[in-house]
Amino acid sequence: MDVLNNVLIVIGEIMVAVGAVADLIASTGMNRFPNFFVRLHAATVGTIWGAFVPLIGASLISIGADFLGPYRYFAAGGAVVTAVLVLILAPAGSHALARAAHRSRAARVFPKVVDHLEEDRGGSDA
Amino acid sequence: MGRWQKVVITASMVAFVALLALALSAGGLGFTLPAGRVRDVARWYLFTTFNPDLELFSAMAPEGVTSIVWDYRGLDTLFETAVFFLAIIGSVAIMRDIKTGGGSKPKGSTGLSPIVKTVTRITVGIILAVAASIALHGHLTPGGGFQGGATAAVAPLLILVIFSRYYIERLGVSKNAMLAIRSLGLVGIAVTAFIVLAVTSLQGGVAYVFQNQPKPYAPAGMPYEVGGSLTGGTLLLFNIFEMFAVSAGFTIIFLLLAIPESEVLGVLRGGEDGH
Repeated sequence: MDVLNNVLIVIGEIMVAVGAVADLIASTGMNRFPNFFVRLHAATVGTIWGAFVPLIGASLISIGADFLGPYRYFAAGGAVVTAVLVLILAPAGSHALARAAHRSRAARVFPKVVDHLEEDRGGSDA
Repeated sequence: MGRWQKVVITASMVAFVALLALALSAGGLGFTLPAGRVRDVARWYLFTTFNPDLELFSAMAPEGVTSIVWDYRGLDTLFETAVFFLAIIGSVAIMRDIKTGGGSKPKGSTGLSPIVKTVTRITVGIILAVAASIALHGHLTPGGGFQGGATAAVAPLLILVIFSRYYIERLGVSKNAMLAIRSLGLVGIAVTAFIVLAVTSLQGGVAYVFQNQPKPYAPAGMPYEVGGSLTGGTLLLFNIFEMFAVSAGFTIIFLLLAIPESEVLGVLRGGEDGH
């Protein structure tokens, strides 16, 4: 049982570390990327890899943390629920932002290969 | 901004975070949180908030904050609820001639994209469940009626923004319905405040207004457990009614805020401009 707990804790810690690295990458991208849509990509890297993954890691760590007693299941459950909420809500939020920016033409779609949304609307390449 | 300035700012931020982490991990806030020593007032509340051996002084609910809010200083909270009620009534009175509903639905699709709507359909249920949990467990865990009501009010706000005014009216969330729910909640709070007094008076005894548990010279009280589950006496009822009153009140404000400014100004101005 101790081995299993240690494995869980190590996996969880790796996930938290991955999350920290992803957050660093995402914040670098937010600062360095040229325009709204590319920055939005960096922001979602920060929410999925930088929030969802470490939350799952935190739940694994708390399941493995024997000294918490029965409270570890509360902590793990809370972390998993939060992670699932982030997983559902973050893409919807960034989708709404991107759609609003595209519709209002507030941001230029700059490094683009194809823009089907613009074609559907019958607009020319802006 | 010069290159060196950026370097200094970044370095100072990194140093701040690192020092803060070091201080916290070295026990800068003390190794035991909360601190071992509490003040005498806090000690008294912690000692009496759930204490079956000291029932005459106890609120018999393990949540200290809710016990203080609705039992130790219940009258104060009643007045706070009244202030909130007056604020809502004031805004409803100002907007009295403005129709919140009844307008014709605009043509075409309204609101945000189907993706956002689908996610909202899922999360509205979750939000209402969390709100009910916060309010119904208010006497056991941190939370309470106001917090639960404020959380529940997020659900109509989301529907209002992501679907439309017309959609939420069709769901039955209108200003008048919310006013009715709000008034029912307040009536419930008033009845709960007098319930022990009323029942005891009918049986020929004496009791206090806002009484929850038995007190000296007033031996009546609400049962603090039902079937082995703690109810906190009047606290559970107060929390439930407060949740309905607060969520309906906030929903009224959101409905009023969702009216386009052009419609509001047309009514508020009356016939003459500038008066």
